[in-house]
Amino acid sequence: MKNRLKVLRAERGWSQQDLADELGVSRQTINAIETEKYDPSLPLALKMGQLFDLFVEKIFSLDDVAATETRRRGAK
Amino acid sequence: MLISILHRQRKAAQAAAQAIKEAGGTIEQTRRVYGTRLLIRGLLWASVYLLSRGLLELTIPSAAARVAIALLPTPFFIYYLWTWMKGVSEMDELERRIELEALGFAFPAAIVFMMTIGLLDLAITLNPDDWSLHHVWLMMPLFYYAGLWRAKRRYQ
Repeated sequence: MKNRLKVLRAERGWSQQDLADELGVSRQTINAIETEKYDPSLPLALKMGQLFDLFVEKIFSLDDVAATETRRRGAK
Repeated sequence: MLISILHRQRKAAQAAAQAIKEAGGTIEQTRRVYGTRLLIRGLLWASVYLLSRGLLELTIPSAAARVAIALLPTPFFIYYLWTWMKGVSEMDELERRIELEALGFAFPAAIVFMMTIGLLDLAITLNPDDWSLHHVWLMMPLFYYAGLWRAKRRYQ
């Protein structure tokens, strides 16, 4: 799953630690999400949406392969 | 008595976590508090275990006394485990996943190890001074730490 977390955070001038403190998670978690090694749970993703005042799908999106697969299944 | 001590400790741990949160503390600060507690209680358990092992090497004729000495480290280890479990409940979702992956590695690794040791013992009768339960259980924490190292590396 892709995300725009790093860009959104940079736009607000926040460090990873600032964001981690706001969300009540560790800095390691923010780093793992930004580097796309870890996909957050739905409650955490929703908290991020609330914090950035954005819909979740404006922050997270399926990568190309997963998106194509989802579209293919939907077309059946 | 032990239950009463554990109950008081749980209340103290909850109060400490709450105090950190109210003071605007971060998950890192909460983790440091539990890390220190885990280390202290781990050292306490290890000391009692080594004492128990040392005493059991001596010639103590009373079977009841030997059983009591053998069981001495158990409550300390349960206390240590309880602290660890409490720490896990305070972790964030990625840290819990790392713990889960570490245990997910350690548990099957322990099964494979025990099965292999059991079969080898049937095949060639392993030396009990090296391969008895006194020594083999020490491999279990090593599997856990190997799993922890592997899982932490994945999310770094």
